[in-house]
Amino acid sequence: MSIIKLTRREFLKTSGTAASGIAAGGFALGVMIPTQATAASSEIFEPNAFVHIDSQGKTTIHCGRCEMGQGISTALPAAVADELEADWSRVTVLQAEGNEDKYGPQATGGSRSINIMFEPMREAGASARLMLTAAAAQVWKVKPTDCYAENHFVYNKKTKQKLAYGQLASIAAEMPVPEKPKLKTKDQYRYIGKPVPRHDVGEVVVGKRTYGIDTRVKGMKYAAIKHVPVYGGKVKSFDASEAEKMKGVIKVVNIPRFEAPYGSLGGIGVVADNTWTAQQALAKIQIEWDRGPHGVYNTKAYKAAMVKQVENPAKPIFKRGDLKSAFDNAKVTHSATYVQGHLSHSPMEPMVSTVSVTDDACEVWASTQDPAGIQRTLGAYLGREPKTIKVNVMMAGGGFGRKFKCDYVQEAAALSKAVGAPVQLAWSREEDTKTGYYHSTSAQHLEGSVDDKGHLTGWLHRSAFPTIGSTFDPSIEWPREQDLGAVINHPYGIKNFEVESGHAPAHTRIGWYRAVRAIFEGFAFNSFTDELAHKSGTDSLAFFRNIYRNNKDPEQKEKVERSLAVLELAAEKGEWGKKLPKNHGLGIAVHHSFESYLAMVVHAEVDGDKIKVHRVDCAVDCGEVLNPDGATAQMEGAVIMGMSLALYTEVSFKDGEVMNTNFHDYPVLRTNEVPPIINVHFAKNDYKATGLGEPGVPTFAPALTNAIFAASGKRYRSLPIKPIYA
Amino acid sequence: MSKKIIINGKEVSTDVDGNMPLLWYLRDEVDYTGTKFGCGMGLCGACTVHIDGKAVRSCITPVNQALGKKVTTIEGLSENGDHPLQKAWVEHKVPQCGYCQAGQIMNAASLLAENPNPSADQIEQGMQGNICRCGTYNRIKKAIASAAEKMQEA
Repeated sequence: MSIIKLTRREFLKTSGTAASGIAAGGFALGVMIPTQATAASSEIFEPNAFVHIDSQGKTTIHCGRCEMGQGISTALPAAVADELEADWSRVTVLQAEGNEDKYGPQATGGSRSINIMFEPMREAGASARLMLTAAAAQVWKVKPTDCYAENHFVYNKKTKQKLAYGQLASIAAEMPVPEKPKLKTKDQYRYIGKPVPRHDVGEVVVGKRTYGIDTRVKGMKYAAIKHVPVYGGKVKSFDASEAEKMKGVIKVVNIPRFEAPYGSLGGIGVVADNTWTAQQALAKIQIEWDRGPHGVYNTKAYKAAMVKQVENPAKPIFKRGDLKSAFDNAKVTHSATYVQGHLSHSPMEPMVSTVSVTDDACEVWASTQDPAGIQRTLGAYLGREPKTIKVNVMMAGGGFGRKFKCDYVQEAAALSKAVGAPVQLAWSREEDTKTGYYHSTSAQHLEGSVDDKGHLTGWLHRSAFPTIGSTFDPSIEWPREQDLGAVINHPYGIKNFEVESGHAPAHTRIGWYRAVRAIFEGFAFNSFTDELAHKSGTDSLAFFRNIYRNNKDPEQKEKVERSLAVLELAAEKGEWGKKLPKNHGLGIAVHHSFESYLAMVVHAEVDGDKIKVHRVDCAVDCGEVLNPDGATAQMEGAVIMGMSLALYTEVSFKDGEVMNTNFHDYPVLRTNEVPPIINVHFAKNDYKATGLGEPGVPTFAPALTNAIFAASGKRYRSLPIKPIYA
Repeated sequence: MSKKIIINGKEVSTDVDGNMPLLWYLRDEVDYTGTKFGCGMGLCGACTVHIDGKAVRSCITPVNQALGKKVTTIEGLSENGDHPLQKAWVEHKVPQCGYCQAGQIMNAASLLAENPNPSADQIEQGMQGNICRCGTYNRIKKAIASAAEKMQEA
């Protein structure tokens, strides 16, 4: 069994938490047993899972959410430090290991980190500050209200005496934990809302930041893997005799498919003294595959089949009003079909993990977005209690949703078990490209009607795509009502509205990709709205504005107001309506996802096949902005990922196998094509803070294609615009 | 028979297969993990190091080609992490995930060594081989331009 060393104090806190609130579904911070822990009193002040202060005042803040470049391990700890009144220069941020009982939910996706952890982590900082203040009050024999904390010291209001946090640590440890500490008001913020630099930037620029791939464990071996190229296939036979003869090769291992949502596809692994030897040996192994039931998958034909599905009546999912009469009475009707291919996340750090499996313990070091997912998957694979699997969450060199799934960890566990040593498995770029969990390919057919006053009166939205649900339950072959929720609840004011679902069984593993369904839904909504505006002779901005204003549903009031506010902000800052040279155009798009609101104006120039983006203006409403620089960086990144998928990225299948292999045939945006100006404008309001990792992606592609239409009259309805395999 | 490479100023003896890519030698054999694996085909630039001051893609450079030469990795670019590019990267808050940045910095350092006063176009051209999936490109270009300026002043 893996022994997690707990001090008596931690044990009391952990068990206290477990006993008091988790069952209610909430993550109960502050429900800790406060004062019984005197027996374990020490020089260390550790009032909760997140804050740790030693007698020298050295402060450590743990981040439970996983870091992959989105900046959460700066944004949240800075909020803790703010409430704690800590001096940021004396704070060390540590990535917490996988332990949801202690740190709360750690599955880092859906842009939820700020949404769910901002308040609890602030409370952790505030309660520690109150305990330090109470400790000082005890020393001075005054009331806590006669003291205040500021920048790593507690001051006596009357005498102006001060005590450093380090001096107070051991006394503060004996103070009762406040139940529901009062949080700062905005005018009291020290770090929240300020462009606090990344805590680890100094390590990054000298090559000392340790990513998953940089894990080094005593006695570890290195491995490479070649997967079954087709989902659901298997190894029929293999000849490893040449490979096994090579110097430095330890073992060739046949890893069978592990039938779990995050389990291995199956394949052949080689364990060796170093990565290169493992790769060389792998190349020498002759493998014959059984391609299985999905060996017929061909994305070109599949997309055509989806288009046929959605251009004909499909399965009704939602209906409001009378669509037929809206069309019968319309001045303008129009229809269009939008298509998108599969996408691979392709983070710069491919899938890598290091695992040590012994008879009585299992320890993992992995770049991951979901340590509990690793515990569940390895627990099931090894037949052990999930919580006994120790997961060290490593800095991820990009994730974008891919590192939520831990097939690469389960494979390393299989290899470690086979050789009886810790093993680091690093997938090649080719395996990352060819055997991932892909963003759904999709087809959407839209029909719309506009009345003689230029108002949108009817909208049919027929959608087909293999769902993420299929990865968990292959019997799901249609987008369900829950998969179409964002379409059904899109805050457009449309009286007559129907949503239908088209048949789309999955032939590969579908996964979450940064912004997920909002990518293709945002593309369809914004492209078709722009098309209807042009068809009815209305300015696009005015047309968008009208559609939102026509939504009188009181339950959607906030969504409508916030969508309109970012639309207006983007239009104003992007200088909507300005005069442009020939072959230049502006495009606008607005979309909300993951509780944040985005609008973009893109300025593009079209010269034959050449598309150049001169400028992008992003209007962002994520409520309270925790770190304006971090938020701006997320938007810059979203624009560039949005431009990659608008122009180039598509994973294509032939005979069940992915045709793309590496960055030459899965090209992503390079520096020479990046919009030289990306302006980010934040809406000012008092809404609660929400995430920004994903919501910037969906608006870019439609704003671009709308701009291309404005510039050239050419309408692109299929993404990417320049596919590698047409 | 053992052969020698000078890595970040230190002479290192090696007896590995000379065909091993320098990337894996640096990472797996001598523990310079600042140099990153990205593609294995010289397409992304994450593995960029210097041989005798010139940027090379270590994933497609065999150890043989480094024998008797000076190899510089991100860990050895400056003594105290104070190369003007490293300082500019911090000042412009360039990294997101940061994984590609060692390669970006090493490529930029070689670029500035050859052309201390590059135009915006020359920077863009010189950096085309380095991919950043997080999309930090504009900040990278600004950081290079400001480092070049500071180096001119110095």
